[in-house]
Amino acid sequence: MFTQQIINGIVTGAVYALLALGLTLVFGMHRILNFAHGAVFMWGGLIGYYLVTAANFPFWAAFVCAMVGAGLISICLDLLVFRPLRRRKGDELSTIVASIGANLVLITIAQQVTNAQSLRFPFDTFPLEFYRAYGLQISSLQVVIIVTVVLMVGGLLVYLFKTPLGAQVRAVSIDEPASTLLGVNPARVYLQTFFLSGMLAGAAGAIIGLTFNSISYTMGESLMLQAFVVIILGGLGSIVGTVAAGVLIGMIQTLVTAYISSELSDAILFGILFIVLLVRPNGIFAGFHVEHRAA
Amino acid sequence: MTMLAFVSSYTPLFDLVLIYSLIALSQYVSFRGGVLSLAPAGFTLIGAYTGAIMIKSTGLGAMAGICASIAMGACAGLLLALPLARLRGVFPAIATIGFVQIVVSLALYAEPLTGGAVGLTAIPKVATTPCLVAALAAVVGLLSVINRSNVGSAFDAIRQDVTVAESLGIRVAHYYRVNFALSGAIGAVAGCLLAYNTYAITPEEFGFGMLVFAATAVILGGRSSIAGAIIGTAILLVLPELARPLHDQRLLMQGALLIVIITYLPQGIVDTARELLRQRRSVRHPVVPARKVAA
Repeated sequence: MFTQQIINGIVTGAVYALLALGLTLVFGMHRILNFAHGAVFMWGGLIGYYLVTAANFPFWAAFVCAMVGAGLISICLDLLVFRPLRRRKGDELSTIVASIGANLVLITIAQQVTNAQSLRFPFDTFPLEFYRAYGLQISSLQVVIIVTVVLMVGGLLVYLFKTPLGAQVRAVSIDEPASTLLGVNPARVYLQTFFLSGMLAGAAGAIIGLTFNSISYTMGESLMLQAFVVIILGGLGSIVGTVAAGVLIGMIQTLVTAYISSELSDAILFGILFIVLLVRPNGIFAGFHVEHRAA
Repeated sequence: MTMLAFVSSYTPLFDLVLIYSLIALSQYVSFRGGVLSLAPAGFTLIGAYTGAIMIKSTGLGAMAGICASIAMGACAGLLLALPLARLRGVFPAIATIGFVQIVVSLALYAEPLTGGAVGLTAIPKVATTPCLVAALAAVVGLLSVINRSNVGSAFDAIRQDVTVAESLGIRVAHYYRVNFALSGAIGAVAGCLLAYNTYAITPEEFGFGMLVFAATAVILGGRSSIAGAIIGTAILLVLPELARPLHDQRLLMQGALLIVIITYLPQGIVDTARELLRQRRSVRHPVVPARKVAA
């Protein structure tokens, strides 16, 4: 029973990591803490849902479209909110405040589109099968989730560290003026990171919507707050740290819900955050930091 | 007679503006002192529950309730300052949002004391409009005295540049603690008065929504003047009452306002207006500043 909970926790945590990766990517590269990330995630779930129910898309196609759609929303955020702010030399407080505003706008629109209802995928959206071994069980959905997350994290690492485009992103994050001398267009790089971050959020949104079988305009808020804990635990800006912290948080949350109390799980989660801030503000996985910023 | 009806129909709105102004002032204190805290909603919850529990289960009366909430709010602020006084940048923002989440989930969990999700009802309505006006006047008086004192100038220095403030020998961690305690006390008074004015409280009213409201009010009004917080609150609460479409799209308006104001009018309405007035005056009487410099 305990091992089973651990497995469930790892799967949930992998999805948290996917959501948190987008946050930590934009923060690590551009020092922008995007509070609208949760809303982009929620829109990923909504797009997936509407494509499956209204347009009869198979789930995999809806999933891909949700990723692209959420990526585009994220690009709009950069164009409409963060770019004007950068032009006027906004500080940390102003980016946080502006993205809180964007979050509110995106959530209110979703509330009106969905009539404030909680939506469910049709029963046969995903063919569920259960595999059993050693008294443990794992569903086909869980296997697909793990495989997807591993592929995406791998793809992100390859993109950032092995491709010319990724080199541009890293160049801008280390020194923006110097990168322009080398022929890099920072405005385009910002669009890339925001698109990637939105894609990751959209993927997480579609997956979470399917696994918990519930999509509502409020789903982004609480999960984004959990993602904040994940990125701090993982060391802000660290990709490997974020994945590790995501899995850890997923396991802790599953265990707390199973053995202590689901109502307390938020309090325990954020309690952990405070302890980490007190003891190791750079995150507990900072030792595994992937180097992508100048020291 | 019609005059009386007019006044009595708008009394609840007026009361609400007074109470929410206090919440905004709690937020104003943090921003003014250069602390990126979003904790006031949590302090307000603590104050509201302390006040309600005191008046319902002890026979000590309203004044004792208010004093107890002030003490609780200030203690919560000091406790929060322990891990946060050393942190800079986005960490305090994330951690204080976590604090609000913890407080809300504890209020939901501790059912015997707080009534859980149903909250506390049948709280005697002791805070009438004159009481609220007096409370707001007292807090505004206190804050203007503090603003003119050494503490006020230390807050200003820290807000403008932490590093410079530190190099000038200002004990930044100490003033962070003062700031959190002050913000906590004011937020708790607001909560206590809210409980004494509205008969019933539930944990949900103090969540993310209130947090965003407080930040919006201060950003809208202006971060460096007391009047800014109050005028921002009044605009946010009164505007939706003036026109039906504005009322339906309240949150959309709030979000869009946040983005536009922080980008194009980062000083807020009151501070920008003040700046304009000062400029106009100096154009009209160009001799005055020159004489000041000579003296």
